[in-house]
Amino acid sequence: MTDLLRRLLRTPQGAIGSALLVLLALLCLLGPELAPRDPEAIDFLGRFRPPGAQNWLGADQLGRDVLSRLMTGARSTIPLALLATLLGTLAGAVIGTLSAYLGGRWDEAIMRNVDAVMAIPGLLLALLLVSSLGKGSLNATLAIAIAFTPGMARVTRSVALNVRAQDYVKAALARGERASFIVLREMLPNVVGPVVVETTIRVAFAVMLFATLSFLGLGAQPPAPEWGLMVAEARRFVHQAPWIILAPALAIGVTAIAFNLLGDGLRDALNPRDER
Amino acid sequence: MTAAPPASPVLAIENYSLDYTLRHGTARVLDGVNLAIGKGEVVGLVGESGSGKSSLAWAIMRHLPRNAVEASGRLSLGGLDLRGLDAKGLQAVRGKRIGMVFQDPSTALNPTLRLGEQVIEVLMRHRGLGRAEARDAAEAALAEVELRNPTALMRRYPHEASGGEKQRVVIATAFATAPELILFDEPTTALDVITGARILELFARLRERTGVAALYISHDLGLVSRVADRVSVLRQGRIVEEGAPEAVFLDPRHDYTRRLVAAVPRPHRRLVDDAAGGDTVLAANGLSVRYGRRRLFRPPPPPATKAVSLEVRAGEILGVVGESGSGKSSLARGLTGLAEFDGGIHATGRRLDHARQMDKAYRRAVQIVFQHPDSSLNPRMRIGDILARPLKLYGGALSDIPALLEQVRLPADYARKYPHQLSGGEKQRVAIARAFAARPSLVICDEITAALDVSVQAQVVELLLALRRQHGTAYLFITHDLNLIRQIAHRIAVMQQGELVDLRDAAAIDAPDAHPYTRALIAASPAPVG
Amino acid sequence: MSTGWLLRRLFLVAYTVLVVSVLVFAITQVLPADAAVTLLGENATPEALAAVRDRLGLNDPIWLQYWHWLTAALTGDFGHSMRTGQPVAPMMLTALSRSLLLALLSILLMLAVAVPLGLWAALRQGKAADLVTGFISYIGVSLPEFVTATLLLIVLADWLQWLPATGYVPPGEDFWDSMAHLVLPVLTVSVIMVAHVSRMVRSETIDVLHSDYIRAARLKGLAPRSVLLRHVLRNALLPVITIVALDVGYLLGGIIVVEEIFALPGIGRQLIVAITARDLPAIQAGALVMAVTYAVASTLADIAYALLDRRIRYD
Repeated sequence: MTDLLRRLLRTPQGAIGSALLVLLALLCLLGPELAPRDPEAIDFLGRFRPPGAQNWLGADQLGRDVLSRLMTGARSTIPLALLATLLGTLAGAVIGTLSAYLGGRWDEAIMRNVDAVMAIPGLLLALLLVSSLGKGSLNATLAIAIAFTPGMARVTRSVALNVRAQDYVKAALARGERASFIVLREMLPNVVGPVVVETTIRVAFAVMLFATLSFLGLGAQPPAPEWGLMVAEARRFVHQAPWIILAPALAIGVTAIAFNLLGDGLRDALNPRDER
Repeated sequence: MTAAPPASPVLAIENYSLDYTLRHGTARVLDGVNLAIGKGEVVGLVGESGSGKSSLAWAIMRHLPRNAVEASGRLSLGGLDLRGLDAKGLQAVRGKRIGMVFQDPSTALNPTLRLGEQVIEVLMRHRGLGRAEARDAAEAALAEVELRNPTALMRRYPHEASGGEKQRVVIATAFATAPELILFDEPTTALDVITGARILELFARLRERTGVAALYISHDLGLVSRVADRVSVLRQGRIVEEGAPEAVFLDPRHDYTRRLVAAVPRPHRRLVDDAAGGDTVLAANGLSVRYGRRRLFRPPPPPATKAVSLEVRAGEILGVVGESGSGKSSLARGLTGLAEFDGGIHATGRRLDHARQMDKAYRRAVQIVFQHPDSSLNPRMRIGDILARPLKLYGGALSDIPALLEQVRLPADYARKYPHQLSGGEKQRVAIARAFAARPSLVICDEITAALDVSVQAQVVELLLALRRQHGTAYLFITHDLNLIRQIAHRIAVMQQGELVDLRDAAAIDAPDAHPYTRALIAASPAPVG
Repeated sequence: MSTGWLLRRLFLVAYTVLVVSVLVFAITQVLPADAAVTLLGENATPEALAAVRDRLGLNDPIWLQYWHWLTAALTGDFGHSMRTGQPVAPMMLTALSRSLLLALLSILLMLAVAVPLGLWAALRQGKAADLVTGFISYIGVSLPEFVTATLLLIVLADWLQWLPATGYVPPGEDFWDSMAHLVLPVLTVSVIMVAHVSRMVRSETIDVLHSDYIRAARLKGLAPRSVLLRHVLRNALLPVITIVALDVGYLLGGIIVVEEIFALPGIGRQLIVAITARDLPAIQAGALVMAVTYAVASTLADIAYALLDRRIRYD
């Protein structure tokens, strides 16, 4: 494990991605405590105050401190995106592994249906689900998890099939090992790596998707300092105060970049060709 | 026969040294190499993996990786300094004055261009022909390499041609520009035995006709000694021995060459002289293995083996030979329950009709070792854990692990290592130790030496024979190498297109009543000189 | 390409549409909305509501409702919008035609930029040009469409005032004005695809450049130009078809957001409007139309790939 971390930090993507993520993790844990001001405090005199000594990133249409809202908002975006991805990965991994393990007709039937569900664009599926589950952060999380499931099932299955074709799995089969041993000890440790890489990159998508749902008014609800929602609310005031919109937009971008970088770094670090 | 270097060579390599820059310093891959090829001469370059033989070919073709540093030496083609060439000069040499024949014709041809196009473009470039003339010349070149119906072949894509046909196209391209020198980089290694033998015959005839000089690179000393006028043996970047093939083969000077020569399989030098026991360990009755299943819109897949019947006696080494696609590996899969089969298997005193009837006793008695050492050990498990599995399953103490490792001549502390820390030969030893941990009565060896160097192959075979003497284990030894199997097998089964066409004593394999296919295989695998 | 293979592909499209229709119908049935109330308003009498429910078949078992909806949908009848009272199908088709124009222009722009960019980066692998394009594409894939759209709006429409910010003008009315209104949406939709596809083109090209047959082509002394044009390009660009087909999913998702932001009345905006208004027939029709578009696009890509790459075996 420490070995993997060392190899990860040796790749430039892994090092930058990890550094950014440590910062973001700190924001999620301590954001509200570190924020210079109360993110909800309304100050009509300070409306649209440009970035400066009083509000480092300026103030919004209600005079709220943009930096403080940004720092507090990390907590309402990143953990939920992570949760959505983990739920989607878990469900997808179970379906994908099951499909690869059952093989034959079952595999074909499951994968045909997974393909069919994937014909609905992820955002559309999430929109449909949120519209019937109702607006809100938790429902958006659930919708993203469901929207991710078929894709993760496909990835897990192809990795599992690849591993299943390896001679060490054949050797275990020929030895007469129990199915549980083959799946858990021979296959799983070799499936986890590529799936973790895919999952990490998908967190970036989840962050973007979650922000998009909030932007469209179906995720987090006002006055929550959620980044996508902040962009949506600030759109009307682009002329007066572009900083209200730029700050949360960049925060979303940086978070997505961090997870993308970490995913690429992990892929390199897990590559066995790199080992010697 | 003396083997003096030629006076005015076509290719002269003088004191050539090459380094690769790595993360931790530099590695010398070629060290003071001297080699000269005279007009019409064929020089064989023999070496195992990592010897630097491919690097020398890339150096001559001026196609070195970015981290290569040429430390010293001259490379000259008939007086032309190859190292001093600029990009333009190089393009006028490559393909025109030096041709090249590659190892694997299926990857050396562009998959999305018709075969004809790939010959035509070279002719247009190097012989200055127009498209129509080039087409005629290409057809003539393909006829020259004895391809039937060149016109039709030219319209086909690489995937629509056989391996032998593709290699002939590559050879035709190399010869069509009438170069002074042709580099052959293991041109038969990727081909089946009989196809490879035909390619060698073609090479001999073309050489006769054109008088071209050639550098023939191979890992196979026996093969090189049949095609070359002179042989150079390369080891760790140094030429350790050179001379006429007979001299090198019959009277090697250098220690390494001696070991290499000893490792070359010779059909008449038997390594096993006892007879096999009388009891049958395992018998297959009309065994058919079929892959895939019936599906909508698709015809059912053909069986990979068709009703194969054979039996293995206690302590016997039964060889199974055949070319790729002959069904020999499918036989192994059927016998180990990795593929569903029709027909029956008799073993451990019972008859099995299905893979699911294979119980612990059968699985313990019948073990398998696979071809690819890299994929047969779980990369996330330590060697000790890998060897512990059969001990846990079939009974045995974990304290046996050091003894198991010692048995395959590996140090006991290897138990703590991971597979990627081992060499290919070492991994294969671990796989053998894993099979023997079950105390089996039969071990199925599926091409287990095909991915190894000749000298490592000899060690692995020797190890297997020692284990057999110790435990009385029977082997079902699957291979494409007839010379190797004739050294060790009691009986040899020959498979062709899923069918068992011949099964006879190893001593009688070249008898006149053998199956025609058996005789074709023997003819394609001539015994090395001496 | 055998007819059997083609039949199989078409069968799969039909099956996909069936699964999607079940899914869309099931999800929309969970909507906490009473169609009768939406139609008649909160003050309708219970008798009137019951009559409407009866007329709409809302009292039938769910599978029967699905059957009626599906059979009607197959004849092109998706019912009437609860919001406007107009038939849904023609409304969606008009919207689709606008979205297809946006999608097509975006794909063309994307290909025109992403392919040369990816090739260029691959040929300069490890050099500054490669690192810079790599970094930019990283940013491209990491920005959601609404962020890209907002940034483009601020810069191109607000500060520089080069382009109209939002709105839609039919091409038949004033062609140039129509195109000017499409520039920002097309740019936004392309950015994420350019970033993604150029990265894929780069890695495909690098794989091809390292292949044995390219090495063989070079060692045969062919001119570098012909190695690049005849040997590298052909093999590196074939897989791009598949990649673009996979990106159609993102494209459609992106279109929803972009149409909403730029007030472009395409299928995506219709869907958002329908979802906000809980307009059941419109949601169902819109979602189904999108999924069918995706299935058809990816099947067309498969067929194109099969026609171009002779290696694929259809068994």
